[in-house]
Amino acid sequence: MTQFPDLTTFSLEAVLTILGMAAVTYGMRLGGLLMADRLPQHGRWAHVLERLPGAVLISVWVPSALSAGAIGIAGAAATVVTMALARNLFAAMAVGMVLVAVGRYFIGT
Amino acid sequence: MSRPGPAQIGHFDPDTIRRGAIACLPLLPSTIIFGAVLGVLASQRGLSLGELLFMSLTVFAGSAQFVSVDLWRETIPAATIIIATAVINMRYILIGASLRPVFRGRPLWVKICGMHMVADENWAVTMTQPNLANPGFLLGGGIFLGVVWATGNIAGYLLGGGIPDPEVYALDFAFTAVFAALTIGMWKGKVDLLPWVAAAIGSIIGHYTLPGTWSILAGAGAGVVTAALTWRPDMDDDSLEAEFAVEGRDAYGAPEGTVNTGKTATFSPEAGK
Repeated sequence: MTQFPDLTTFSLEAVLTILGMAAVTYGMRLGGLLMADRLPQHGRWAHVLERLPGAVLISVWVPSALSAGAIGIAGAAATVVTMALARNLFAAMAVGMVLVAVGRYFIGT
Repeated sequence: MSRPGPAQIGHFDPDTIRRGAIACLPLLPSTIIFGAVLGVLASQRGLSLGELLFMSLTVFAGSAQFVSVDLWRETIPAATIIIATAVINMRYILIGASLRPVFRGRPLWVKICGMHMVADENWAVTMTQPNLANPGFLLGGGIFLGVVWATGNIAGYLLGGGIPDPEVYALDFAFTAVFAALTIGMWKGKVDLLPWVAAAIGSIIGHYTLPGTWSILAGAGAGVVTAALTWRPDMDDDSLEAEFAVEGRDAYGAPEGTVNTGKTATFSPEAGK
């Protein structure tokens, strides 16, 4: 591992491992869509499917805000409030990130 | 013909792809820095740059790549890496399922081509577009993020260090911030309230009790179960699904490639309702 930078070596095991990773990931991406296509367009399942993106999104960022500590929770709250008021993605991200950066600088994490 | 606006968007319209790429612009700094951090890690773990780029463009999933590259050794623990990737990326089943309205009425080949470059970021941006949600928009964001991600990988691999610490500029928080902000755009009305509260509670409990990214599945699962339990038949009329079906011709382009006529409404299966 001392040959640096190693630009073009492709070992067979590495390529097969990566292809395995790619296959399971792509399989789940496409499989999820094709399974959803088989669900009814109306009724309970359609209702559940409409609630799904919000539920996934919340479950992605709430734990990561908690991982960032008190300043992360404050930053996430500031981002949500700014977005609700200004409806501007740039502004909302900027408010949250500046708050977290400044908070870390002065208070630490 | 009678309607102005994006009435006849094809499957992968160049202009829509460009808009999708531009919509992901706020994620450029964080994506390039984290791509560079992964590049540094890969050079330390003995991947070649070619192998890393091959992984970035075929797997295209940031958190799974970090864990996999971290597990990488001279004798590659292939099974461990592939299982870890599958567990971390299990959320893509749900993300794929939620993309149903974006691919409504599109042929299978569009789904096959459009579902590869789906990351959390361009998915979230696409799902919150009221009129642009289209396979091309999704793909445009994915291509943009893929190019930026790979550029970061190359920079980090070649520099081998000297990368700014993402935490100093809160660049690690950019992902949290963009997802938090986009949640507002997903609000469809008070039917969302209970499932969202359940998702938040489920993911918080998962965060403190489960390892790794299982909290995402715990939260999403809680949200799904709550949504299923709170459904009532009278919810159907104002459901977004019905709206998608009617507006689908308009917002997402004509189905099955029939993009060149002005009479989509006459043979629309929903027209009789």
